[in-house]
Amino acid sequence: MHIPDGILPASVCIAGYAIAAPVAWYSLRQINRLKDPTEELPKASLLTAAFFIASSINIPVPPSSVHLVLNGLLGCVLGYFAFPAILVGLFFQAIMFGHGGLTTLGVDAVMMGIPALAAYHIFQVRHAFRQKLGKKLATNVFAFLAGALGLGLSAVIFFFLVVTNIPSGFDAQTEQAAVYGLTLAHLPLMLIEGTFTLLLVLFLQRVKPELIERRG
Amino acid sequence: MRFELDEYAYLDSPLHRWEPRFKLIGLLVLIFAFASVKDLRLVPVVLAIAAVLYLLSKMPLSFLLSRLRYPGFFLLGVILLLPFFSGETVIWQWGALTLRQEGILAMLLVVGRFLAIITTALILMGTTPFLTFVKTMRSLGLPSLIADMTLLTYRYLYDIAANLSTMQQAMRLRGFGKSSRTKRLPFVPDLHELRLLASLAGTLLVRSYEQSERIYKAMRLRGYGSEKFKVHPVYASPTSSPATLNTWSGAGLVFTLLVATGLVVAEIL
Repeated sequence: MHIPDGILPASVCIAGYAIAAPVAWYSLRQINRLKDPTEELPKASLLTAAFFIASSINIPVPPSSVHLVLNGLLGCVLGYFAFPAILVGLFFQAIMFGHGGLTTLGVDAVMMGIPALAAYHIFQVRHAFRQKLGKKLATNVFAFLAGALGLGLSAVIFFFLVVTNIPSGFDAQTEQAAVYGLTLAHLPLMLIEGTFTLLLVLFLQRVKPELIERRG
Repeated sequence: MRFELDEYAYLDSPLHRWEPRFKLIGLLVLIFAFASVKDLRLVPVVLAIAAVLYLLSKMPLSFLLSRLRYPGFFLLGVILLLPFFSGETVIWQWGALTLRQEGILAMLLVVGRFLAIITTALILMGTTPFLTFVKTMRSLGLPSLIADMTLLTYRYLYDIAANLSTMQQAMRLRGFGKSSRTKRLPFVPDLHELRLLASLAGTLLVRSYEQSERIYKAMRLRGYGSEKFKVHPVYASPTSSPATLNTWSGAGLVFTLLVATGLVVAEIL
């Protein structure tokens, strides 16, 4: 889910950078408030690389297969490092494989990164529900929501941008219907993404709890 | 470790010798000028500029073609529908299939912009060694945290990819993907398989995390985080003298900026 070069007008590309810059600045400020930001940096970098590679895993959905975006999970694990991580990841995807592009880097970062930060906050809400639902159920529910909504939000932003900016003779109503329709078509993918995020959080909690709890 | 990005970064051409900061600013402005083109008459101009730059860079054509393949397919998928659905002027009709003029023009515009931008971006990245590129970004104000993350991610990307393919091979050898294929419903992923794949991705994360702890200790021991490691000014190559280099580089920057301004002005007129 990347917007390639050439599709969006320059004004939208610049607006993308204009939104991405303050979000990056805010994330960096939150990171610098951590106890030891230099210690977190190599962890975040290697996890960024690992997420980048993990998103290439094929999930068999007969008769074909899908790729996961994993931006919800990225938010849950990396916290405020998620936004710079997505910037870096998208930059590599653009220059190595031509997914996305340099002009659309800002737009793509907003599209993937803001939902990732939202997923982080959604995942943090589990602490509030710990007593009501029990710790395990709360973690499960909010991990699923973080994964599903991370992807869902990205899909909404993606289709909105593509449909409204592709030069076309469609009227506003058709465009709106197209955005809704395409987003609804993503519901099954949201389910898969949410389930995968939930399973992965369960796995990490069993094997290496500090990976998801250290920012708790 | 393979420096895949630096394959042609050490050729000798005017673009390789261009001072990296000037090159970065010049080409990025040019790319945005390309993106702002909306008039179809400017598309050949834009493509010609990109082609001349690519010829000047002396990189082989096969390099460009190999980079165009994947995004080209993606773009085709998105815009191939335009000529059939967008616009009112029908220029060709066969049954339910109609070709519309506005749609074709819109498609040509998008494809033209796309080719010009991606070629110029490839020139920028292909003629600059990756390390120099990051240093240049850093000297232009990229926060050090993002610069460091970029370098570290790049350094371990291939490592982790190799790790994943080893693990996937091990999974296949143990029979992953072979079982229960007959009784599966379409469009429903198998929960058991999903769980195994989540463990695969999770193991990848855990391994990377553990590796990062060792790397951090090694980095600290070598002085990471101390004030001594400041960014030095970057020059294209240590042998060329900075003074003469900057004259030509400056001229190149001014010329590129003029071309970019020309494009934007032509667009407004």
